[in-house]
Amino acid sequence: MKLLLIEDEPELAKSIQLYLNGNEFICEWAKNFSLAIDKISMYNYDCILLDLMLPDGDGFEILKSLKKLNKIDGVIIISAKETLDSKIKGFNLGADDYLTKPFHLSELLVRVQALIRRKQFEGNPQVVYNEISINLVTKITKVHNIKLDLTKTETDLLLFLIGNKGRVVTKSSIAEHLSGDMADMLDNHDFVYAHIKNLKKKIKLAKGDNYIKTVYALGYKWEND
Amino acid sequence: MPWAINGRMTKKLLYKTQQIYLIVAIVIFIVIAPIFYSVSRWMYINNTDETLVDYKVDFIKKMLPKIHEENIISWNKYNTTQQIIPYYPLKGDTIYYTTYFSEIEQEFEPYRELDTPIKIGENKYIFTTKIGLLESEDLMISIAILFFILIALLLIVLGIITNKISVKLWKPFYENLAQIEAFQIDNPSKLLLKQTTIEEFNRLNLSIEKLVQNNFIIYENQREFVENAAHELQTPIAVFKAKIDVLMQRSDITKGQAALLESLNNSIDRLNKLNKNLLLLSKIDKNNFSKITSFQIKEIIEKQLAFFKEQAIQKNIDIKTYFTDAVNITTNKGFTEILCSNLLLNAIQHNIVNGKISIYITANKLTISNTGTASSIKSESLFNRFSKTSTSEKGNGLGLAIVKKIVDLNNWTITYSYKNNLHSFSITF
Repeated sequence: MKLLLIEDEPELAKSIQLYLNGNEFICEWAKNFSLAIDKISMYNYDCILLDLMLPDGDGFEILKSLKKLNKIDGVIIISAKETLDSKIKGFNLGADDYLTKPFHLSELLVRVQALIRRKQFEGNPQVVYNEISINLVTKITKVHNIKLDLTKTETDLLLFLIGNKGRVVTKSSIAEHLSGDMADMLDNHDFVYAHIKNLKKKIKLAKGDNYIKTVYALGYKWEND
Repeated sequence: MPWAINGRMTKKLLYKTQQIYLIVAIVIFIVIAPIFYSVSRWMYINNTDETLVDYKVDFIKKMLPKIHEENIISWNKYNTTQQIIPYYPLKGDTIYYTTYFSEIEQEFEPYRELDTPIKIGENKYIFTTKIGLLESEDLMISIAILFFILIALLLIVLGIITNKISVKLWKPFYENLAQIEAFQIDNPSKLLLKQTTIEEFNRLNLSIEKLVQNNFIIYENQREFVENAAHELQTPIAVFKAKIDVLMQRSDITKGQAALLESLNNSIDRLNKLNKNLLLLSKIDKNNFSKITSFQIKEIIEKQLAFFKEQAIQKNIDIKTYFTDAVNITTNKGFTEILCSNLLLNAIQHNIVNGKISIYITANKLTISNTGTASSIKSESLFNRFSKTSTSEKGNGLGLAIVKKIVDLNNWTITYSYKNNLHSFSITF
């Protein structure tokens, strides 16, 4: 999968590239507007991460160019602008998702994955990890083909962990992911522990492996031993 | 509310002027009345005396040459006010007060009498003529009454005119006062003070407008500064956060380093929240209140309750709701959501383990009360930015400032009370 990161802050771009680059993705970087226009006209990307405020142009213009070029690349706007107006404008111009800076890289990763899945599988998209499978439409999770009775939050948590497999995710990033719009109103992140515990228990009951590892002081990691 | 104050002030100001008028009028009346009485009386007596002298002159000129000694008895018989009596030593004209018994009234009545020596034939006599003063007493009373009525009438008319003039003259003052009272610095609607024909009022208006304008500029600069600073901080925070996310992925992190990373992570989360709240605070103004919808306050609370109940589990806090009335409000929904969530977060953050939260919606009021660690909070600084009252490291001291700002822009009121170990915040819509 090819990603294009359009971001003028080099330090942030480097970190995003480092986090996203792996077996799944190759993340290219365009540091300004003109470079971005060059790249999108030459290549096709599965997903474009677009910063709205660029030194030599407006991010919205890139969305317009994509439309003009009849490109169907998925676009996630990553911006420090948090106004409803800029969000609406972005969506109207064809953006698929909107992530406000600052964000957790783990959050960005699952958003990219979700977007690519939406774009690619139109029939019955599934996330499969060994014996575990999650149907993204019906939200039914199966372990060894046996249906698991998970709450909506637990399903979200499972998808978040599998999406960030092999990476350490912090309790705060999980808490924010699960809280959605209310993330700013979090009192503490302790409730994550309860959800992790329940999820582990349910997978274990269905004879699934224990993939959720606790990482000392930092958080959790989905890992195959 | 401004009108109530206005009404009271109008009365007070008028009352003061009228009070002064009344006192002055009474003093004038007390001083003037006896002077007036004496002067009128003196003038009357003077007049009477002149008349008496006229009578005398008239008598001496026309009557005296015709009178003989033998006619004196009959003269006295036919004249009541002019008599010729036996001589007693007298230098010239003498005018004096005296009384005579009146057969009709059966009492003594006052008279003014003039005695003068005359000569009839060879013998000296005294001519005496008198004028009753009873009429003058009546006149004096009539004049006094008239005088009193006149003064009273003058006073009433003066009072009415003052009243009317005061109300009219002070009208622009009170209108401007009401405007100043309703003025909010974060409200872009300008202060439009009424121009008057009174120089002092115009001067006052001018200085107020100048004052407001200066404050407005300072406020706007400050707001912009906060907004820009918070905006600029977002990028380094984003970089910081991303770097920590990347650093955490390293496989060679020791336990000590992990603990440090965790603490860094928590700090950057707090910084991020603080920054977001600052940004939000700078954004809440009248301009952003354009998108207005009508909705039930209950809807918002219920939507947020699932989230906050989960947050409350950690402290084993019991949340109870008492929604007795359907309260419908018309305003910006997004800001109302922020308002409610900040209050609920506040109730959880400052709560104790095994605590309680009660949410009431009654009439036009939303009340959120909670058990808490601290005893009563000083309420005057409660809604100020960064006024931390508890020792809790949670919260950044901006939550209630945000709440207050949203409440103010909606012209709602928020009150804090502490009763039976419960901290309560009430918003009246």
